[in-house]
Amino acid sequence: MSEILEQFQLAVIQGDSDRSAEMAEAIIAEGKATPDEIFDFLAEAMEVVGSRYETGEYFIPEMLRSAESVEKAMGILEPYMFERRHDQTGVIVMGTVKGDIHNIGKNIIVSALRASGYEVHDLGVNISTDKFINKVREVNADMLMLSAFTTSTKLALIDIIKSMEREGIRDHVKVISGGASHSEEFAREVGVDGFAKDVKSTLAVCRRLMDEKRA
Amino acid sequence: MNSRERVLAVLAGEIPDTVPIVPVVDGYYAPKVIGRANDECFLNGACMAEALAAAREKYKYDGVLAEMGLGTPPNVLGCPVEVEGNDVPLVVDTVIGGRADLEKLQVPDPWAGGKMEPVKQLVAAAGVDHFVLGSVRSPFEYAATVRGLIDFMTDFYRDPELVRDLVSACVPATLVVGKALVEAGVDAIVMKDSFVSTSMISPEHYLQFAWSAEVESIAVLKELAPVVLHVCRNSMPILTRMAETGAAVLEIDSPVDLVAARDAVGDKVVLKGNIDAAAVIEKGSVADVEQAVRLAMAAAKPGGRFILSTGDSIPVSAPEENVSALVEFGRKYGRY
Repeated sequence: MSEILEQFQLAVIQGDSDRSAEMAEAIIAEGKATPDEIFDFLAEAMEVVGSRYETGEYFIPEMLRSAESVEKAMGILEPYMFERRHDQTGVIVMGTVKGDIHNIGKNIIVSALRASGYEVHDLGVNISTDKFINKVREVNADMLMLSAFTTSTKLALIDIIKSMEREGIRDHVKVISGGASHSEEFAREVGVDGFAKDVKSTLAVCRRLMDEKRA
Repeated sequence: MNSRERVLAVLAGEIPDTVPIVPVVDGYYAPKVIGRANDECFLNGACMAEALAAAREKYKYDGVLAEMGLGTPPNVLGCPVEVEGNDVPLVVDTVIGGRADLEKLQVPDPWAGGKMEPVKQLVAAAGVDHFVLGSVRSPFEYAATVRGLIDFMTDFYRDPELVRDLVSACVPATLVVGKALVEAGVDAIVMKDSFVSTSMISPEHYLQFAWSAEVESIAVLKELAPVVLHVCRNSMPILTRMAETGAAVLEIDSPVDLVAARDAVGDKVVLKGNIDAAAVIEKGSVADVEQAVRLAMAAAKPGGRFILSTGDSIPVSAPEENVSALVEFGRKYGRY
């Protein structure tokens, strides 16, 4: 099985969408890989892609090529992974904040969360505070996940938190922010409950916050 | 020499009295000089012209940028733009979903709706004493905007022919806007090609998808006015090819070492830059501004062919004293 996962990993690093889809089908056919194993191989692949970007070997088109291969594979793997682990339940509202239209990372996270059993309502990009809050109320969300790729969206994040406090819903809804620019300090400054930079950390944060909610 | 003469001397390869100072003050920063919100000025060209003129008058630099946001309402080549509530106009939808949509591409009419009137207003305010630059997007930047940056860059591998055809289809838009700016009275055209920075795409992709359209556009526009080619962040790996486009001036950002840049391009083009707008002008102290200006002058002033500038737009939260310091120390260290 690890050979198939390694080939899957290589396809993602090389940004070969056809091959990543082929390997996703092979994973399903074998039927042995657990969702955790798949996410681990995926996380490692994206780390390699990230470090190649840092060293100047990859640029944004190459990163997008890899991200597309992940998206394609996740679309195939989602039902397989859902069957094997849907113990993580919860309702999540998600979107990219106002002033930001980056969506590729968000789309991958949406796939991963659905594959893990969450009910995810993806509002899209450039979403206003009101739209987020209205949707949170409508679906009685457990968590609000805010994608904010750049540091210039800090004000939008703070506005959402403050509005939730004014509306009296802040205590019932866990807020997670995510994006390449995020750090512990950034998360503390905007007042969210957790932050994440990739699939693995997103799932870990969601699991922790849902456990806190249930406790 | 007055400000305009100063810039013209540099463009002609002559030594001016002092290095011209033309920072990138545009719709991000200028509105606050007249106490207006950014979106207010982006929605109202006359307000923007007033703001840009007021900023130049306040800080006493040599040239003003007619960055009217010709991409602002109602659209950029057919793509809807959202302005209200934002610090900058945001293209919220795209018109090119695929090859079949190429025919939907609109060539703008820069004169429609009085859009050039604010440019003329700014030219009038600058008078004969100050230099006016007008800004236009490159064909590559237009193409990325109408396709959506993410899809556009994904197409580099997914459908490279579409990328080439789309960039080529956007050349008329760059030309028509550039020509209109000159007719409205600007002294030079700034061609913004921000997405070709090697902070975003490889030098190979720059050559493959963007460079030819730059050359084609600049060949036409430079017959009307000098062209400034603007690429933000790291442009060092592509600088020699940028110098071969026909642009008279290369506007470079802070990651580029000015000494290395001059070595790379010689004296065949003017270098404009490259004080860090964020780290120095926005977040630095007055002492940081002085040091940055002094070092830039030491690197690029000898022999002329240099215009002191920020590498990119001055952010709205930059302290007034830092913008003042940029000009003050530019004058102090810029004398020939």
